[in-house]
Amino acid sequence: MLNVLFFGSLVLFFAALCLEFASLSFKKETLGKLAWYGFLGGFAALTMYLVARGVIAQRFPLSNQFEFGAAFAWGIALMLIVLRLRLKAEWLSAVAMPMTFLVLSYAALQPREITELMPALRSAWFVFHIGSAVFSYSSFVLAGCVGVRYLLLSRKGDADELKLHQMDYLSYRLVALGFLLLTVVILTGAIWAEQAWSSFWTWDPKEVWALITWILYAVYLHLRLNRKHSGAKMAWFVIIAVSVVLFTFVGVNTLMPGLHSYG
Amino acid sequence: MRFGLILLGIIGICSVVGSVIPQGETVAFYAKKYQQLHGYILLLGLNDMFHGWFFISVSALLCLNLTLCSLVRIRSVVRSAKTEQSRAAALPNEQTLTARGQDLLRSELERRHCRKTEIGGVTLYSKNSFGRYGTFIVHLSILLTVIFGVAALSLPTVTDQSCFPGEALTMADGTRIYVDSFHIEDTEGKLDYASVISITLPNGRSSEKTEIRVNYPLSFGGCKVYQQTYGTAGSITVRNMETGGEDTFTLTEYALLSMDGQNGIWYEALYPGYIRDPDGNFTLITSTSGHYDDPVYQVLVSQDGTFTPVLAFPGDVLEVAGVSYEFNAPVEYPGLRIKQSPMLLNALLIASFTLMIVGLYLSFFLQPILVKLDADGYATAGGKREGLQLDLAVLLSGETVPSSPEIQKPQNETEETNPC
Ligand code: HEM
Repeated sequence: MLNVLFFGSLVLFFAALCLEFASLSFKKETLGKLAWYGFLGGFAALTMYLVARGVIAQRFPLSNQFEFGAAFAWGIALMLIVLRLRLKAEWLSAVAMPMTFLVLSYAALQPREITELMPALRSAWFVFHIGSAVFSYSSFVLAGCVGVRYLLLSRKGDADELKLHQMDYLSYRLVALGFLLLTVVILTGAIWAEQAWSSFWTWDPKEVWALITWILYAVYLHLRLNRKHSGAKMAWFVIIAVSVVLFTFVGVNTLMPGLHSYG
Repeated sequence: MRFGLILLGIIGICSVVGSVIPQGETVAFYAKKYQQLHGYILLLGLNDMFHGWFFISVSALLCLNLTLCSLVRIRSVVRSAKTEQSRAAALPNEQTLTARGQDLLRSELERRHCRKTEIGGVTLYSKNSFGRYGTFIVHLSILLTVIFGVAALSLPTVTDQSCFPGEALTMADGTRIYVDSFHIEDTEGKLDYASVISITLPNGRSSEKTEIRVNYPLSFGGCKVYQQTYGTAGSITVRNMETGGEDTFTLTEYALLSMDGQNGIWYEALYPGYIRDPDGNFTLITSTSGHYDDPVYQVLVSQDGTFTPVLAFPGDVLEVAGVSYEFNAPVEYPGLRIKQSPMLLNALLIASFTLMIVGLYLSFFLQPILVKLDADGYATAGGKREGLQLDLAVLLSGETVPSSPEIQKPQNETEETNPC
């Protein structure tokens, strides 16, 4: 049953993104609606999957690469839904849907068995630290998606300036949210590290790359204070920065084993 | 700001280098891995990037830059806060509005619960004015985090020591750590590695007996004790069969137990289990998940100059030259990490962390709103008004009088945005 929910969500997300592209290519709104319902279905299935997994494991399902990846995809999907409902950001789907699918596909490649939480992870900080990482990464990924849409729209000669400006600002707000949450990740991680390993900071690869990601987005936030740095330049910035976020998540775990190598 | 950003960039690049080149390895390691390049790596200190003079100097420079910038900025932010309302009241309108536009704007600002003030015939709507201090608070907290962080990483003394249950460790300053008991599995058989300990400070004050586990150290008067590792030791009771005197030894490494220094047993190792084939041969299990299910002692019996290897099981007794050696169940013991540091340090560091989160929240989510509204139109004021301007542009589209200027991004680095 669990597998049905997980792979069901993967299939629904895939179907949604195919329909979304078809709707854009053939300019058929009905296909776009279908894509949206498919995506909502995928989100519902993934939500049920994560809840069921949490209930079975009797903990938050955030303890290894698979669980983090699944929660990360869920976070992107949730944020896309909120943005579509609150800001009518339908234009974001064409980029955010494939990202959701990609992240969930990465999770699907990881071992899925439910394991007991190892003693090193039994801490009150577990959910704050990893939960905020899920939403922080999701915000950065969505900021990157907005950046892609910005660049595509700005290439059109007749692009609506106000819309472009709104996209640029939305991307900034998402980075701001992601940055606040990444700060929470790093600081709760430091407090947890002191509780677990006796030192707030050990220059473990994950810590270093979290710091690099933090610095990168701090540079973005500062550059954006200056009027010269907005629009296409900053859109490129947020797109490229997503690769650093993904490296911090995937690359560090696979290429640089350290204290974070769980699961 | 540019200098600060350059420094941040350098720290970022150093961090990438420091994470790609393994840190703190031996010279031989670098020579093997990087061959001719290893000389440069050692010369430039890339093998210990984060403790090297370059990284430390750039970080210190960044702190200095942050301090100076923040001091300069906060003065102007406080000063401008005092005159902000009167200056806003005198601003020329950004947009001229239709009567409906005016109503729309008013109700929108009221919906957002803005405070309303009348100054010289114009209405000012304001909200979240405390948010202007967000950036300053963030920068201050970063500075405090670096200062307290460096102190928290360098001041404590950290010692790793093993201690058998029922025994105590005494630290150099006289602090005593008593280990009452230790277990690897809890009552339900789940691995949890827990010790029950108490701490007695040099002034005689003692903590309660408390269970410590990974993630749950015991902190008492500047001394923090962590459950770090564990081990399993052999336990052998030696009995003099003539006098009846006896003693129990807990053993972790190669040792001779003997009355006369020659005859006795050499303790070699303790194995967690064994496999016995149909011919009665033993294969000893060396890997362990923590628990010693079928422990086996490997010893050498030394008698009259001959050495005989023997496998013994808990409960077995060997007699050598009038002395009996009884093999007991193994003893599980904890490896403790003892950290001694000034008591206030952690609290100060965590307060800086909290300040950083509060500052970021103020900066991003409590953005000040200041709108001047008169009979013709409106103007926005303050540093972070981009979002407000956009919202109003959408809300009031079609309700502005055409010749009005286009919506603008906030001016470059106004008072409330922090250039540091
Ligand atoms: C200063 C200290 C720390 C920093 C900066 C830090 C940083 C991060 C970051 C950025 C993530 C995001 C997810 C990812 O990229 O994989 C993460 C995930 C995680 N952290 Fe930490 N962390 C710290 C301390 C700790 C401690 C002390 C523990 C537990 C003993 C811990 C356990 C985890 C786990 C289990 C995950 C999610 C699983 C995974 O992706 O591997 N972290 N951490």
